[in-house]
Amino acid sequence: MTDRLSNSCQPMPKQSFRLARWIPLAIGCLILCSCSHLRQTAMVTETSSAVVQPAVAQEALSPCPGGTPTTCQVAYVGGASAEPAPLPYTVTGPYCPPGIAKPWPAEEYLCDGGDRNTGVEVSPEWQVLGLQTEDTVAHFDTVGGQTLVQPSNRVCIYAPRFGAVRKVVGLAMEEQHTALGGVKKQERLAGHREVQEAFGAKQNLQPGRNIASLPPVVYRGKQEDGAVSTMQQPYEQVQDQFLPYENLKIIRAGCFEQKENAKLAQGAAAAIAWSQIEEIQIILDGQSASEEVSTTVPTAVYTVKEGPACPKLQLVKVASTPFAKPGEIVDFTLRFDNVGNQPIGNVVLLDNLTGRLEYLPESSQCSLSATFSTEPNEAGSEVLRWELDEPVEVGEGGVIRFHCKVR
Amino acid sequence: MTMVKKLRYPTTPDFPCWVRVVGAMVLVIFATVGRAAEAPIPSTRVHYLHQGAMPPGAIGSLRLQRGGPLHGYFQPVEIKAPEGASVSLAAEGTFIKGESTPRTVGLLVGQVYRLRVTQIPLESGVEVYPTIELVDRLFAPKGQERRFAIPIDLTVEELRLAAAGKFVTRVIYVEDPSTALPTAQEGDGVQWFDVQPGGDPLATADSLGRPVAILRLGGRLPIGDPAEEAGFCFNYPPFLQYPCNAEQLAARPKRLARRPRKNNPAGFCDDRFLLR
Repeated sequence: MTDRLSNSCQPMPKQSFRLARWIPLAIGCLILCSCSHLRQTAMVTETSSAVVQPAVAQEALSPCPGGTPTTCQVAYVGGASAEPAPLPYTVTGPYCPPGIAKPWPAEEYLCDGGDRNTGVEVSPEWQVLGLQTEDTVAHFDTVGGQTLVQPSNRVCIYAPRFGAVRKVVGLAMEEQHTALGGVKKQERLAGHREVQEAFGAKQNLQPGRNIASLPPVVYRGKQEDGAVSTMQQPYEQVQDQFLPYENLKIIRAGCFEQKENAKLAQGAAAAIAWSQIEEIQIILDGQSASEEVSTTVPTAVYTVKEGPACPKLQLVKVASTPFAKPGEIVDFTLRFDNVGNQPIGNVVLLDNLTGRLEYLPESSQCSLSATFSTEPNEAGSEVLRWELDEPVEVGEGGVIRFHCKVR
Repeated sequence: MTMVKKLRYPTTPDFPCWVRVVGAMVLVIFATVGRAAEAPIPSTRVHYLHQGAMPPGAIGSLRLQRGGPLHGYFQPVEIKAPEGASVSLAAEGTFIKGESTPRTVGLLVGQVYRLRVTQIPLESGVEVYPTIELVDRLFAPKGQERRFAIPIDLTVEELRLAAAGKFVTRVIYVEDPSTALPTAQEGDGVQWFDVQPGGDPLATADSLGRPVAILRLGGRLPIGDPAEEAGFCFNYPPFLQYPCNAEQLAARPKRLARRPRKNNPAGFCDDRFLLR
């Protein structure tokens, strides 16, 4: 036996032979680990390949080194390909399991806004793809001919709705007859009846009524110094003054203020991007400046260079209340601003309402001239569409307000 | 020294060592890849361990074993009965004085509460003893717990069915907003439907949302024996009584005259406790 082993494995040392026995096991483990990764990669590839000629998301563009031409801090909301922006404060209950995305539990919250699951894409024929319920996005055309998609933040309202499933069972009687037959004792089962009354699956759908009530709006405001505002007063197309829940500077002027973060969060409309503070930059005629130092000239020379094109649209959504019961009215306000460095055109805002939100007719208001239309969606609600008639210049923006009833 | 002779016809071919190593690697690769490809995929999303026909208290107690902030939390529950009917809860060895509805009480998850419904419209003298079992709770924002209470509807039809000897099981669930029916829900009562014959109401409710309560009507009646009453009332679990709010008082039938009460042991549903 020793002779045989020595003949067959003579060249390989004993230590190397032991090491070689573990190599197959290690390779097998690596293959197992790589299989799951390949499967996920394949699923992602299949999903993305189903979209026909997707539009370019804003994140795909080059960053804007020159910053924004506005004089106030501007919050950027994540683009179509980004994950939904987490909320710095959410209107959740007293408990939430660790490691689970808020709001929790999801059954008790009614959400609207953002771009969930597959991202919204716009084909060259202006066909919107991937717009699901609860999505609120805006798409626009740039000077360079690109079509970009910008989702809004996500607004969640605590509005649980209950249902009931009923079952009625009637009592059944079991009868058993026993009879003697000759020598043998025979037992015959007379019958085993189980009576269950069948009820038709009926559903008591109650007719819905549209009860519209305009909340009292008394707004006392004072002119604040500092930021240059594009809309300090409501436009003629918007009725009333600013409502209390939307009396925020980001709604009035499109400028974000750090002190309004808590108030925005209470309205369930805050995004994590608002907490970011941008650096102060030098702006000369709307263009960034860079410093050049030369040894021959003992002075600083400022050279103005034209920065790259950076079209951006800011879209902020707030709700009037963080909780609502079925039948109550919830007001939504959308604030959009052109925070890029070039005009944008063909701006279209879309809000695909979830099935539990019912748009109240004639309640849409837009501060800019826009064509408003609705279209039924697959959830039994409607898709709201605002198409701005005029391009939006740099630093300009507007407000859209509409009412919904919680079903 | 022992001499071992080499086999003349070896049982296995005498391959070189590197061939054995490569062969072992191929076998391991095929075994692992084949095993991964044949991994079973669960056919259903939920495996229902519980059934709606289980005895009262079984589902709630098993829910407590799954953990979570359920122990000791009094979940507000709004009980609604037909106009004119009187509802009383079992407490401390007896049924407290009946009150008209709607009324809001705080119940524990996992416990079973026995009710007594009397003065049923067009069923004078008939008493029905339904039970309420909470199998989960809500997580409402702070200060909104009572406003978003779990609705328990005692309809006239179901009370009459229970009085006629039927056994009614109603599972109340929180709808999943993504699959909710796009219909308005206003006024009294929640949307309900009958499960298909032979179906399980708990499994059906679980497929539509998250079951939170089970209402059972019909079945046993008290026999008057104090020793049996405790079992009949599930040992009188504790509950909280909340004062009526303005909406509940407005939903109640108007009285022609109200006599001042000097002693109100129940301590609820009185104008003195009206929430401003």
